[in-house]
Amino acid sequence: MAIDRNKVISDMSKVKAEANPDGIIPAFNVLVNQMPAQFWNGFTRRMVDAVADDVKDAVEELLINAAHECGYHTGYGIITSKEWDAIVKPMVGGVEDVLHGAFAVFTAWGWAKSEIVELVPGKRMVVRAYDYYEADIALDYPGKKAPRPMAYMVRGVSAAFMDLAYGGAYDATGAKGLYSFRCKQTKGIEKGDQFGEFVVVPAAEYESL
Amino acid sequence: MATLKLTHRFDADRCRHYIGDLVSVLHCHHYATLFTQLGIDAKDLVDGTKILKEVTEDVAHGVLTKYYSQNGVSDPQERLEIGQQLYSFYGLGKMTLVSPSAGGGTVEMSTTHVDEGWIKKWGKAKTPVNYIGAGFLAGLFAAAFDKPVRTYQVEEKQSRAMGAAKSIFAVSL
Repeated sequence: MAIDRNKVISDMSKVKAEANPDGIIPAFNVLVNQMPAQFWNGFTRRMVDAVADDVKDAVEELLINAAHECGYHTGYGIITSKEWDAIVKPMVGGVEDVLHGAFAVFTAWGWAKSEIVELVPGKRMVVRAYDYYEADIALDYPGKKAPRPMAYMVRGVSAAFMDLAYGGAYDATGAKGLYSFRCKQTKGIEKGDQFGEFVVVPAAEYESL
Repeated sequence: MATLKLTHRFDADRCRHYIGDLVSVLHCHHYATLFTQLGIDAKDLVDGTKILKEVTEDVAHGVLTKYYSQNGVSDPQERLEIGQQLYSFYGLGKMTLVSPSAGGGTVEMSTTHVDEGWIKKWGKAKTPVNYIGAGFLAGLFAAAFDKPVRTYQVEEKQSRAMGAAKSIFAVSL
């Protein structure tokens, strides 16, 4: 049975995050927050803009790594959650369905309206994102166009989902599995493209992309 | 006591969540603490913790100023109460304002997203790490007392991430 993407998005988008009396939101085996997207975009943009050109790549890698770790641990929390079991798991027939389901959840939670458009199991994944909050970074640049691809969160999480699918058993310490894959952003709405495109390959093959 | 009222909606076409009229997104403690660590580690390149505080201050000030205007909240005490509730609504923790005034005050936090997340991820911290909380307080005090951003200085004097029972912040002009 294939993933019914529309049903997953519809059902998962209704999952609410509500703080407990201590102002904390424990969910999916992590603590979550629900701040405005402009906070995440604001920090990202100011950090990248503040550093010299010769170290922008290093800062970008750290931003990607933050999302990569987040995606690995929270992603695992999602695919082992009661919500996943109730909504997505009945449609899952294999690892590839888990990946398609994960991107439907990614979409439902407002990270990126995204889907897998190419998948070679264990080797390569291409994701397209038709709307994502990181694209709003462009609004703060002249001409509303970012100088570079800046969807660092989508890049990190896309690679993390491949880690979870093909990087071996989940390791809560992150010592194994995490960073098995890396992601390159080849198109970006923030740069003026119609959609964002993200190519994920094994880490050892990343430099040849 | 003033009560925060916010609406949530999902735009099924764009697949975005809105709290009030702002795009909102769920993120985990790994992301928040790694952003914080990034701000700390970048000290030789850029003052990342200052950026983290200022971004949070700008967002909190903007959200609260708009909320007060749209909902006719003019009393500073009520404004502070709304801000306290917004902090918890975002999942950032629970704060108690101790004798707040336009001149500043002391703020205690019995829980915080950043501190609990930091301990969960890495164990005890060596220095205070809740720059997001500090920035939120700067934005809250400025919005509550009709001041511009960068009016208040906020210093974390005691940190849950370092092992204290509660975090304590000093807010001053």
